[in-house]
Amino acid sequence: MLKKGLNLAVVLAKMEFKLRNEGSYLGIFWYLLNPILTFFVLLIVFGNKLGQNIPNYSLYLLLGIIMFNFFRQVTIESTKIIQDNRWLIKSINFPREILINSIILKTLFSHIFEIILFTALLFIFKAPFWGIIFYPLILLFFCFFIYGFSLILSSLAIYFIDLNNIWLFAISLIWLGTPIFYTIENQGWLFKLNLLNPCYYFITIARDLIIYTKSPEIWMVLGAIFYSLLFLIIGKYIFSKLKYKFAELI
Amino acid sequence: MKKIIVKNVSKNFKIGFEKNQGVLARFISFFSGKTPQRNIKTLDNISFYANKGEILGIIGKNGSGKSTLLRIIAGIYKKDKGEILTYGKIIPLINLNYGLKERLTLKDNIYLYCSFFGLSKNQIKQKFDLIVEFAELKNFINTKIYQFSEGMKQRLAFSIAIHCQPEILLLDEVFEVGDKNFKQKSSNKIEELAKNGTTVLLVSHDINLINKHCQRTIWLEKGKIMKDDKTSIVIAEYLNSNEF
Repeated sequence: MLKKGLNLAVVLAKMEFKLRNEGSYLGIFWYLLNPILTFFVLLIVFGNKLGQNIPNYSLYLLLGIIMFNFFRQVTIESTKIIQDNRWLIKSINFPREILINSIILKTLFSHIFEIILFTALLFIFKAPFWGIIFYPLILLFFCFFIYGFSLILSSLAIYFIDLNNIWLFAISLIWLGTPIFYTIENQGWLFKLNLLNPCYYFITIARDLIIYTKSPEIWMVLGAIFYSLLFLIIGKYIFSKLKYKFAELI
Repeated sequence: MKKIIVKNVSKNFKIGFEKNQGVLARFISFFSGKTPQRNIKTLDNISFYANKGEILGIIGKNGSGKSTLLRIIAGIYKKDKGEILTYGKIIPLINLNYGLKERLTLKDNIYLYCSFFGLSKNQIKQKFDLIVEFAELKNFINTKIYQFSEGMKQRLAFSIAIHCQPEILLLDEVFEVGDKNFKQKSSNKIEELAKNGTTVLLVSHDINLINKHCQRTIWLEKGKIMKDDKTSIVIAEYLNSNEF
């Protein structure tokens, strides 16, 4: 059963990927282009000012962009996925969660390319790169969080038809509020606000382990695990309550 | 051996329920509480069964609840009350082309939908030629679906459905489109499947079709079963009631 589900999610992810890259020879490069461009623009604009106090600013910046980009892509697509597949949902009974799984798989594919790019940058800067071995573990819990969060978004998007517009707006606020191209010391209202921002935990842990090769603070790790499990449980609960209504409401 | 058992199943739909609302609109209507709603009994206390290898016809006017019934059996809609027992793999063909992905090629669509119906990659490879052959679309394997005519899409959908080893096949008005040749071929195929043990629920307006395939027929009207009997008896009564 689980194997069948995974098989289906892989096929679906492949097809979605084909659909997205229809007639485009550049394909994967379009995905890379966005984070790379963001990276260079921010590096040029802020590199001298904000970056002065941050060691290895370009690595710090790129890892933040890449990880946030993963979160953003999956969540934005999940606000539309049920509507986009309404005929499928109205005609075939299949575990609806697979739609979310397929988004994550598809985005994971381009995310891996971004991580390879990041690793290349580690080499160029001659930074120690063994910290990257921790990344799969961080990514696993990050995926739990994103999966749970997307389950919530996708099911609520059926009830609130403009949720995808609202989310587009909200995510640009979150993007500005998360310390991606700047840093927050352990104080101030922005720091307190970010304690509620799961992305902050994952990005900080990844930076500590990979770029600065130091162990992250233990409360950060606990916080990340807490948020990933919390959202996973809430997401599963909400989705399983609402999924029977999808076919009737779309 | 019974393959589908439906006991006292009811289903209501809320009509006038504003489903396409934004956040703001939802808040306003929540606090003002002025959304008139009406409950429509789409299915009202339905009970019937279908045996292994049986082709069971379902007739009735538009809006009598036929498609809803199939959707509930397929597990797409949730029933409000009652009990449904099904044994074996269900393949529904309710929307003619179950949302085939328009921008994907014929080949990709076959792979995608066979996966939805639980076939593994190897199984799909084995069936692939059969599916294409039956749908008579050999020359269009790498063509994208949006360039297909409705008839071609329907042939494809039907061909995928019957080649995925259904134990229960739910067909909703599948013979409306399609040329004579294909109609003949697919009705032969349905007979063949039934002989091999597949249970088929056949929803149609086409009295001749029901007459030809079904021993037994159910007549639905306004969500209730008016008659569940031998096809000839049911059709006679159905036609009688329609004369006015």
